[in-house]
Amino acid sequence: MKALELLDPASAHVLGFEWLTAALAPVSSYGDRHFSELRPFVAGEESQAQERAQAIARLAAGLDAERLDALHAAFGDLPDAAGAVARASLGDVLDDPNFLELRRFSATVERIDGLLAELTEWAPVSNDSVRAIQAALAPGGRDETGFYLADAFDAELAALRDGLGREQAALDAARGRENERAANALAREAIEGDEFIIMRAEIDRALPAGIRVLREAPTYLLCSLEYGEASLAALARRDAAAEAVAHAEERVRAALSALVRDQAAAIGDAERRLGELDVSLAAARFTRRYGCTPAEIANEPALAFERGRFLPLEADLSAAGRPFVPLDLELHDVAVLTGPNMGGKSVSLQTCGFVALCAAFGLPVPAARARTALFDQIAWLGTGREAQIGGLLSSFAREVLELKAILTRAAPRLLILADEFARTTTPHEGKALLIALLQRLHERRACGMLATHLAGIAGAAGARHFAVRGLAGIPRRPPSEDVVEALAALAEAMDYTIGEVTGDERPRADAIALTALLGIDRELVDAAYRSLSQ
Amino acid sequence: MRVGLEIFELARAVGARSIFVVGIGRDVGKTTVLRAVYAAAAETGVRIALASMNPKQRLWLRPQTVFVTARGLLPRYPAAQILKLSGLQSPTGELVYARTVSSGLYELAGAPTASGVREIVTTLAALSELAVVDGAVDRVASLAGSDGAIVIACGAGAAKTMQEAVDEVAALAARLRVPAVDKAAASIDLDGALTAAQAASFMAAREERQIVVRDPTQIALSGKAGSRALSQLAVRCRRPLRVIAATVASIGTERTFEPRAFATAVADATGLPTFDVYAGVRAA
Repeated sequence: MKALELLDPASAHVLGFEWLTAALAPVSSYGDRHFSELRPFVAGEESQAQERAQAIARLAAGLDAERLDALHAAFGDLPDAAGAVARASLGDVLDDPNFLELRRFSATVERIDGLLAELTEWAPVSNDSVRAIQAALAPGGRDETGFYLADAFDAELAALRDGLGREQAALDAARGRENERAANALAREAIEGDEFIIMRAEIDRALPAGIRVLREAPTYLLCSLEYGEASLAALARRDAAAEAVAHAEERVRAALSALVRDQAAAIGDAERRLGELDVSLAAARFTRRYGCTPAEIANEPALAFERGRFLPLEADLSAAGRPFVPLDLELHDVAVLTGPNMGGKSVSLQTCGFVALCAAFGLPVPAARARTALFDQIAWLGTGREAQIGGLLSSFAREVLELKAILTRAAPRLLILADEFARTTTPHEGKALLIALLQRLHERRACGMLATHLAGIAGAAGARHFAVRGLAGIPRRPPSEDVVEALAALAEAMDYTIGEVTGDERPRADAIALTALLGIDRELVDAAYRSLSQ
Repeated sequence: MRVGLEIFELARAVGARSIFVVGIGRDVGKTTVLRAVYAAAAETGVRIALASMNPKQRLWLRPQTVFVTARGLLPRYPAAQILKLSGLQSPTGELVYARTVSSGLYELAGAPTASGVREIVTTLAALSELAVVDGAVDRVASLAGSDGAIVIACGAGAAKTMQEAVDEVAALAARLRVPAVDKAAASIDLDGALTAAQAASFMAAREERQIVVRDPTQIALSGKAGSRALSQLAVRCRRPLRVIAATVASIGTERTFEPRAFATAVADATGLPTFDVYAGVRAA
């Protein structure tokens, strides 16, 4: 899956693109190849994006968990036969592992088609060529897990192999007699291996016939058993029989390879279909697992959702046994978002980006209902970006350069998510910059949100103002002073709901209360409250 | 005496489903031992499987032998029954499980990683009654805690003197035969290997508690010093190995040892049944 121009690397990181890629990963090599080529839909492709998301949703709804698991397993078993098909196309004679791959490929395709039989929307993957390969390789064994170039492949093979078996038995018998004669002469039960030792003390006369000395040591001789006349004659007959079998076996392989070559184009079609299907099934699993729904794709810059979730964080919270509080938002231009520290402003921005990102790839989105444009760029600005430019720049300078890059690109449909942009300069100038930026983004018909702690920006820029409701009451500091406990208490007391506010309400930060909750001493906290009231 | 049959029966007596033949070095007769055990086991009608951790081991195999090879080493003739593609990669291609239909020369191959070896041993156990593996000491960890047995091969090819070879095999045998930990007794659990420096430190401190490693391959001690450390410290392991025999090869490329004296010395030093496949004798 390629983000291409949709996301720059830092925005991709903040918005969980890697997480999404991992969550959508297919299981087969065909799926991998198709997945690696996936790109976001762009403006003008709204109907295709919506169609894909709806098809995935129907696939997810049409398959129960058991069948999805069975398909997952089938794709996991699917061997990559592309190499074998390519080799055959080039005129190579395939080897037996290639035939096993092709046999398992055709059998697994049949299994996959069987599992999808009830979904009429999805035409079977198999075609005449896949079936022809399956039939041609059927003599290779009772089930598709193995392959042997059996006698049934060629009328002459059985007779030639019988002949070889007889010649090998004759050779073994001849060698066995020579071995037995030598062992008797040396008063041994048997001679094991090609080389053996005879102690000098054990031989009071010449070595028995047929024993050759390979090396002499002070107390013993290292010997081997020579081939006698009978063995040599049997060996020559065995080798001739072996050559005939080898020739016949290669003839079978060549014929099977020619068949694969002739059917290569249609097998390639089946492989492409498998890739698409594997990717769609992975998306269907994702849809079921995370309760996603197809978004309505808008033709104008807009983003709205009900009960939207930022899935990477939801997964982390779920692992820690905590719930994610879904969000409702409706944006048709760039709005201002204010709220307390730890109130979920950043997560709100991430949820916006994640919903738009899913829709851009034609995926159902993690929301109960959603409507979104296909954006040309989803840009994250401010807190959370990893430094992409050299370390000599200050935080502010880095942010400014990032903003410059966004404004210079001038994407026709921009979703901008700015998290406390200009927080590191004076509030006075930061506010001025934010107002100017909002006005510029309005001219550009961009969509998005600027989260800030600064007051009076929305009113001055004529933008809509959203606010996180924040703390219903200040939670008590836990007696244990444990930070995890303190955060749990905070989450319990926080109302993460976002609502549109009229006018320029002074943003609530609750920063001093949070300072106390997180363990700063009472004296300092009280001094801060005193200073605030003056 | 049929040495291969004797070793096979020793393995059967302890219920082993696999035999790893490991050596104190190269050119110590491991392949000869493997061939002898294979031939003897095959004659008894046992369904046997072969694998090698050494590259390109070429052997004459009888019909119905399961073996592991790489795709690049699988002969086109005689055609073998391809049982399974392993997904494990080797320098000569993906490893393949196959079964011979006709006798012939086949090249064996093995996995380059310990986890790959473990996977091979597990798969061969499912495909056969006995797997014989031309192994490597650094890969025997895959047998730890399993029903596999180990045969240690030593030979004139891996030491300058007979005494040096005997010391090496004695240290290796002592290391591989480290007993299982006594959970009721006090112990020091090591996360990694027991090194010579650690052993020296424990000995200087007259440590009496059990010193516990994961398995015997985590004991990085060798030679006389290793034997001394193992005799003075209570080294134990969580997953023990089973060593059933030693073998000797008195012929090296550069030197030879007196076979009977060599076999007797190895038997005395290791306390293991010791065989000379070349001479067809058992020393103890």
